[in-house]
Amino acid sequence: MLQVYLKELTELLRDRKTLFFIIALPLIIFPVMFGLMGVLVANVAMDEQQKVLKYSLINGEQAPEFAEALFYHRDFTLIELPLANDTEINDAVGNGEVDVVIQISENHQQVLDNSSQDNWQVYFNNASQLNFVKQKVNKVFNSYVTNIRQQRLTELNLSNEQFVAISKPVVLKTVDTADERESIGEQVGGILPYLLIVLCMTGAMYPAIDIGAGEKERGTLETLLLTPMPRVSIVMGKFFTIMTTGIITALITVFSLVFWSFVIGEIADVAVVRRILSSVGTGDLLLILLMLVPISSIFAALLLAISIYARSFKEAQNYMGPMSILGFFPVMVAMLPGIKLDGFWSLVPISNVALAIKEILKGTIDYSMLFSILASSTFFAVLSISFCVYWFNKESVLFR
Amino acid sequence: MIEVNQLTKTFRLSKEAKKQAKQNKLDPRQQGQNFQALKNVSFSCEQGQVLGLLGPNGAGKTTTLRILASALKPDSGSILINGEDLVKKPQLAKQKIGFLSTKTGLYNRLTAQENIEYFARLHGMAKSDINIQGELLYQQLGIEDYLHRRVDTLSSGMMQKVSIARAVIHQPEVLILDEPTTGLDIMATETILEFIESQKELGRPVIFSTHHLDEVSMLADKLAIIDQGQSCFTGSISALQEQTQCSDLRKAFMKVLSLKGEA
Repeated sequence: MLQVYLKELTELLRDRKTLFFIIALPLIIFPVMFGLMGVLVANVAMDEQQKVLKYSLINGEQAPEFAEALFYHRDFTLIELPLANDTEINDAVGNGEVDVVIQISENHQQVLDNSSQDNWQVYFNNASQLNFVKQKVNKVFNSYVTNIRQQRLTELNLSNEQFVAISKPVVLKTVDTADERESIGEQVGGILPYLLIVLCMTGAMYPAIDIGAGEKERGTLETLLLTPMPRVSIVMGKFFTIMTTGIITALITVFSLVFWSFVIGEIADVAVVRRILSSVGTGDLLLILLMLVPISSIFAALLLAISIYARSFKEAQNYMGPMSILGFFPVMVAMLPGIKLDGFWSLVPISNVALAIKEILKGTIDYSMLFSILASSTFFAVLSISFCVYWFNKESVLFR
Repeated sequence: MIEVNQLTKTFRLSKEAKKQAKQNKLDPRQQGQNFQALKNVSFSCEQGQVLGLLGPNGAGKTTTLRILASALKPDSGSILINGEDLVKKPQLAKQKIGFLSTKTGLYNRLTAQENIEYFARLHGMAKSDINIQGELLYQQLGIEDYLHRRVDTLSSGMMQKVSIARAVIHQPEVLILDEPTTGLDIMATETILEFIESQKELGRPVIFSTHHLDEVSMLADKLAIIDQGQSCFTGSISALQEQTQCSDLRKAFMKVLSLKGEA
């Protein structure tokens, strides 16, 4: 078995595609991709922030202070348009004549005189996630509203403190009993298991196809089967190779993300990363690594079984697609709010590991659960491997 | 000596094969869900003899050779090497048989030497034995110069030589070659033919399947012709020519097949 394992590993490490998927992709491509995305988003955001908005004001005479503040504000430039109804306003915004239309009510002054509440409308295209129209308009609008409020308070002979006491007689303050680690764990705990588990599978996919269907296609599998090496040893050698690459891919990717997050800065705040790393001890990290072993073994066995069934590289790739969805689903379930690691969930393969990693990160893991998680995962892994060995002994599968 | 007695093998048809069978003319070997690939195939090959296994495409040659090499299990029948039944002891068969086909069965990303040594280790050979046997083989086949080159950088002739070394490093008692020259250029074909000749001289029984009758007439001491999974003829070339009254081997081969068809 060791012979097969070492040979498979040597071959994989000499394959450019494998090296690309396992090492280059997580180490360079992902960070470059994220970095580029960060730079692009930052540039777009900066452009949007610096953009001078073209605006039209309807019934501006009703709020001359507001109209004046807008007119002289560096973020706005006035476009005079005869806008009579909603259709014309929508068209003006839609075809880019203006970025925003502010419609002041026709009887705004009268409403103010009656000390009532008025309603204005702001028309703009809010589809883009990166637009600052609302913030920019709010800035001028809030200043105008603050002035009016101040006037009214003076008229009513009320101080700001009295106004606050009237508008909010009681304030409910929340005190978070979760320590920093638990809070961070809750935030990161959903993403990290997803990343680790999914990468364990995707990292194992290419090697699985290569040493199963790939070997079948290249004609080397038949030669291998003609050696006195028992089929179980061949399967186990291949299985451990796939498992190793899955775990290595996950670890390299996580290491790469953490490393580049320090370097790039845009991906994650350095202080946050330091706090996360310092709050999770070496023992916990080893425990997370331990959790990856049974999960990788389940994936490795299933992927190898699929790969060995397929007649060609292409056919194996076709089967892997639906398999990925099956793998992602239990992880997604574990990310749902309200799903917690308990007696039942500790027995559900894949989901249990995702939940356990989350709990480890939060520092709230019930260590007794680890036994049932490992027992359940090992059971499913052994089942998958047995199935793999069974298929490896089937002539109808090997010589399809 | 290798003796093949009454080999029978049935495959369960896959869905695709069933579809194909429906579209094409019904093969008499198809029986419901099953396909009888071999039926009572028998032949033998003495020490130092070369047996040419002939038959049209789909006759069952590869299935026969795969059974001999223990890649497939027969439904019934026996394969005896010097009296030991390999069907009952498949691990023994794998030790005693060397297998070679057009597909070199080499790992492209390993060097020639790594490939040969890997298969030697899988055959349970000790490091010292691998070194001694390897040295002899490398010299004999003239592959020392490119032992450390990756297989994917070798020419087809070089690959065939490495593949030969891979097939015989464990010193098998019998050699089985499945269409070893199909698709090869003249130089690579020559390598294979010389190799078969050398094995014959060493006294190893060699069984090889082929479509090239010139190779058969040049090398084979004996023929086994199978068609539609059944033995049509077993004997020497002269016996075939005598039986069919044809001196031309190609015509004699065709006549045997047509006689079987008529029967």
